[in-house]
Amino acid sequence: MAATGQLTRKAAGVPFDPVTMLRVAIVAATLIVWEALSRSGWFYRDVIPSLWSIAKAVYALLTQGTFYFDLGVTAAEIGAALLIGGGLGLVAGILLGGSRFLSQAYETYLYYLGPTPKIIFFPVMIMWFGVGPESKVALGALSCFFPVALSVAAGMRQIDKVLIRVGRSFRARPWQMIVKIYLPAMRHPIVNGIRLGFGVALIGTLLAETKLSNMGIGFRIINAYSTFDIPRMYAMLIVLFVLAIAVNALIGRLGGLGAVKR
Amino acid sequence: MADPILVVDDIVVSFDTTEGPIAAVDHVTFDVRPGEFLSVIGPSGCGKSTVFNVIGGLLSHSHGIVSVSGEAINGPHKSIGMVFQEESTFPWRTVIDNVAFPLELNGLPRRERNERAKHFIAMVGLAGFENRYPGELSGGMRQRVSLARTLASEPKILLMDEPFAALDEQTRLLLGDKVLQIQQQLHQTTLLITHNITEAVQMSDRILVMTYRPGRVKRIVEIHLPRPRSSDIVSSDAFGHYVAEVWSDLREEASRGMEDAERHALGTAGEAS
Repeated sequence: MAATGQLTRKAAGVPFDPVTMLRVAIVAATLIVWEALSRSGWFYRDVIPSLWSIAKAVYALLTQGTFYFDLGVTAAEIGAALLIGGGLGLVAGILLGGSRFLSQAYETYLYYLGPTPKIIFFPVMIMWFGVGPESKVALGALSCFFPVALSVAAGMRQIDKVLIRVGRSFRARPWQMIVKIYLPAMRHPIVNGIRLGFGVALIGTLLAETKLSNMGIGFRIINAYSTFDIPRMYAMLIVLFVLAIAVNALIGRLGGLGAVKR
Repeated sequence: MADPILVVDDIVVSFDTTEGPIAAVDHVTFDVRPGEFLSVIGPSGCGKSTVFNVIGGLLSHSHGIVSVSGEAINGPHKSIGMVFQEESTFPWRTVIDNVAFPLELNGLPRRERNERAKHFIAMVGLAGFENRYPGELSGGMRQRVSLARTLASEPKILLMDEPFAALDEQTRLLLGDKVLQIQQQLHQTTLLITHNITEAVQMSDRILVMTYRPGRVKRIVEIHLPRPRSSDIVSSDAFGHYVAEVWSDLREEASRGMEDAERHALGTAGEAS
């Protein structure tokens, strides 16, 4: 087994190694089954649209200006949610991780509130912030806050204590300690927290858009569904899926995960 | 004789335990003269690391005064540079950025601090590794990075806590040579905490032997070996004589420590069964 593992690792990047072939195979199989089902006539009209009609819809989507407007709205909502929720989460995490007292007092709340589906607060957000993007940002920020705060608090406690002593021995000021020691020492948990936060902010924002809104991708998807423009709906799902993967990869890259040793 | 640069005067440190307060360091008094190499040696648990942390200003003491050039210190002092026993390089910084760290804290412009960092990197024998990350270096090299980083802050007193404890014996001897060479080159006042007798005799002008729990000063041994020294000195008769002398003092303390540890192990085993 070890030998095979080595082989595949060595061959990674070569187009025809077993791992890549398996990956391609499952995608191909899915596409073939999909197309077969689409042509079988077992389903009502467009429930499973043909690959070709989805491809056409993707093309139409990408060459259309209004799509980019909605994409921009959603992206801005998610970005604002990440900034607000993630920023507050970072501060809360540093406070909780830095003080045993505060963490004893408050961290239990975070553990209980963290897994609660934030969408249940959407009616409240609509009352407070209206039907527009603000309520989506609020829900996304609320979703994002918890994983970032918990991840940063845990990361703060895992910092190698000797690095803090080094900083103190060189008489680093509190601000320097945070910027030059705490934050870089926590880069992995922070990036991880932001990744998780991004995921739930995306979910929260899109979910909110599908519930009640007047713009954004979530709104367009549910709109396509209700007007039974299924190929277009799938086209948006695919584009969104690819974008989510890309952003996730980008966040991972920015954090330098895997690049820095130890 | 020159006035002492570091005075440790009647220091007491006690820790609260479940069985009440325990004195880790009990009325310890000594001083270090400018340019001197002084080692503090003692068995594990004699409180020598506590002394290190008190002088470094990272631990508060309940009684006594630590003063540098006549000025009582309270917290980390700019004249004292610490090298820790543990792995303490910043893994996210390259070697040069690690070494430049104290200069960066003081707001030195990048060009100037890199120049000075390079100087100290070369001094510890790591020229050419400036842009490597600690993860790419061996344990001995990383410890030299830590040493260079502390030297870069140009402390009046270099304070080291078993800096080579985690390294293998050969690396340790070679690094000892390096430290000795640097110390002699810079006339660096150095205080080394160690449990290694040969290391202490090889490098020191004086060796302070501490007692096992509570940590007190048992004796101060003057080492009159010629300078400059290197690890070659370990083969001389005088060296052997000093090692034996220090060991005779240390032996009693070390065996007390061992007995204590055994009793403790028995005690906990008794509780468990």
